[in-house]
Amino acid sequence: MIQTIGDKNRSTHGASPMMIPENTMIKGVGVSVGIGIGQVVLLERLSTDICPCRILTTAEVPAEIARFEEAVDSAEKRLNAIKGQIDGNHPLGDHSYILDTHILLLRDKMLYEGTKRAIEQGKQNAEWAISEVMTKITSAFDSIDDEYLKERARDVHFVGERVLRILLGVSSERKMHQLPPNSILVAHDLSPADAAQLKKEHVLAIATDVGGRTSHTAIMSRSLKIPAVTGLEKISPMVQTGDTIIVDGSTGLVILNPDAEMIFRYRQRSDVLRNYHQSLLAFGRLPAVTRDGGRKIQILANIELVDEIEIAVAHGCEGIGLFRTEYLFLGREDLPSEEEQFEAYRAVVDRNKPYPVTIRTLDIGGDKIASSLKMPSETNPAMGLRAIRLCLNLKSVFKTQLRAILRAAHYGNCRMLIPMISCITEIHSTKKILEEVKSELASEGVEHCDSIKLGILVEVPSAVAIADLLAREVDFLSIGTNDLIQYALAIDRLNEHVNYLYDTLHPAVLRLIRQVVNAGQAFGVSVAMCGEMAGDPVNVPILVGLGLDELSMNALSIPLVKKLIRSISYDDCLDLTHQAFQMQSAQEIHELIEKWIFDRFPGDFFLSQQ
Amino acid sequence: MITETDLIERTVVIGNELGLHARVATAMVQTMRQHACRVTLVRNGMEVDARSVLGLLLLAATPGSELIIRANGPGSHEAVQQICELLEGDDSDHRR
Repeated sequence: MIQTIGDKNRSTHGASPMMIPENTMIKGVGVSVGIGIGQVVLLERLSTDICPCRILTTAEVPAEIARFEEAVDSAEKRLNAIKGQIDGNHPLGDHSYILDTHILLLRDKMLYEGTKRAIEQGKQNAEWAISEVMTKITSAFDSIDDEYLKERARDVHFVGERVLRILLGVSSERKMHQLPPNSILVAHDLSPADAAQLKKEHVLAIATDVGGRTSHTAIMSRSLKIPAVTGLEKISPMVQTGDTIIVDGSTGLVILNPDAEMIFRYRQRSDVLRNYHQSLLAFGRLPAVTRDGGRKIQILANIELVDEIEIAVAHGCEGIGLFRTEYLFLGREDLPSEEEQFEAYRAVVDRNKPYPVTIRTLDIGGDKIASSLKMPSETNPAMGLRAIRLCLNLKSVFKTQLRAILRAAHYGNCRMLIPMISCITEIHSTKKILEEVKSELASEGVEHCDSIKLGILVEVPSAVAIADLLAREVDFLSIGTNDLIQYALAIDRLNEHVNYLYDTLHPAVLRLIRQVVNAGQAFGVSVAMCGEMAGDPVNVPILVGLGLDELSMNALSIPLVKKLIRSISYDDCLDLTHQAFQMQSAQEIHELIEKWIFDRFPGDFFLSQQ
Repeated sequence: MITETDLIERTVVIGNELGLHARVATAMVQTMRQHACRVTLVRNGMEVDARSVLGLLLLAATPGSELIIRANGPGSHEAVQQICELLEGDDSDHRR
């Protein structure tokens, strides 16, 4: 813990010790399900909230500048020492230039001169000065429109915090491997390095101030099955190591200073959830055949990380319906090599044999860049250069990925899924490049799959309109509902003013799906769905009735969806679908289905999803 | 001595697939250590010192964007030439 120094000349800013009332609830984003009740281990955090702030006298200024310069010298020595340890065989290898970048950042005039100016002219003490300069620089990065560049704010933090820690006289390495059992890890944020060192046996839950569903913390905690809540904003300054708290990763609630009754209630809830999941898991191992045997749906999992395969398999997936490959590309300076990609794809293909693994080619751009910032009026990345458009533009990057996929496909059942197709030309261009890559691999004598199944992600309304033309070109169609619904209804889900209009059961959405299924059936091509819509039980009876062949979802939803499909009859689903197509609004369709499910299974299927 | 005659301006398009990223910015600042001239980069009206990694990154020069390099002082021809090579070059081999 960083303590502010109790000098009467120093004023502190925030973080005064406070009494937290019993059962204080804070709401964040539940990113990994489950409940953790335990003792806080607070990971040190340094920010302007907890650093000492003091106005200097003119006489103190030169000594303060000297103190700052010494701290930078010492940080530079340390970074040089770390850099000196890296040789050609080090896992960081080629990435070691990032240490050069950090060394240069230490002396960058915006940071270095900027801090000295704040000390000299603002009469701020060194810690305060550098914190404020860091905040200014990182907020400038926030407004950048490019995901890679935006991420560089982290480098500024990394470097600035190193200096700050030296100024404050605290150790600069976090001790992640020495956590006591039953710990609940609380931090402002967890770096990937922090998360990688976590021991699942010791950590009951994680709670952080920042981060959303796709943050490193979220992804790592899901793959480690540690309950986690992110985006709590102010939890780290509110708790201390040793405090008892409850973290509910299902609802996104964190309870500070819980009383005995609250703890008891959550213990019970946690048991109920665990039993419920245990009993559901049995359904994961069964096929998703309707009760009357009228229809069998293949249930697959969506994954992002290679490490997520085990969870997907444990929940009963029959293959991977969507392997997002962006994770290999994001959060780094360089591009993943063909070998690195090949290893990742092969691991997934190998583990899922004989089931298929559907690898989606790079889908970068659009929401991944646009989500976290206000778009300048002249650009519209959701409709811009993204996904297949970007790949056709960056042909060498695309070809490297195709090579890796074709090579991995040699080792099992592998399919390739192309995102954002909006016209037939894009399919033709993709196929042409695919053929080029195949013949290159053949002439190099590299083992690969020559007959990989090619599919497209139907997520642009124009692709639905020409689904009959596209179906002739490919081996399968997969409906990406998240984007399709946004484009079709002209709703940005992240825009709080309009997201109430987003509805998976909008009559337009159901008609679009029907059109794709019809096209697939007409040309003997299987039709899958891989958006969030596929994993929500409320949609399942209609999706069965519409005739989808495959549903691909978050692994955790699989047992419940299988249980539901096994409980209903195909004729009933057809009937329900027919009725739904008579309805005029999403609201009416919701009421129809909820009543339909409730009449058959009162109390089941809707308490779940947790 | 910095004189008027040394003022150079050149426009360059970013050829690197990732834009003016940390690796390029780092290389540029290291290159500038060999020179005494003053070099700035301009994009969309924002002008930054070629000796500042942060300044260079904050230009947000994505692939294909156009930059103006301004230099004056001793050795500026050579410095501009080296910077152009860094910006126009596709260092994908380096990254693979």
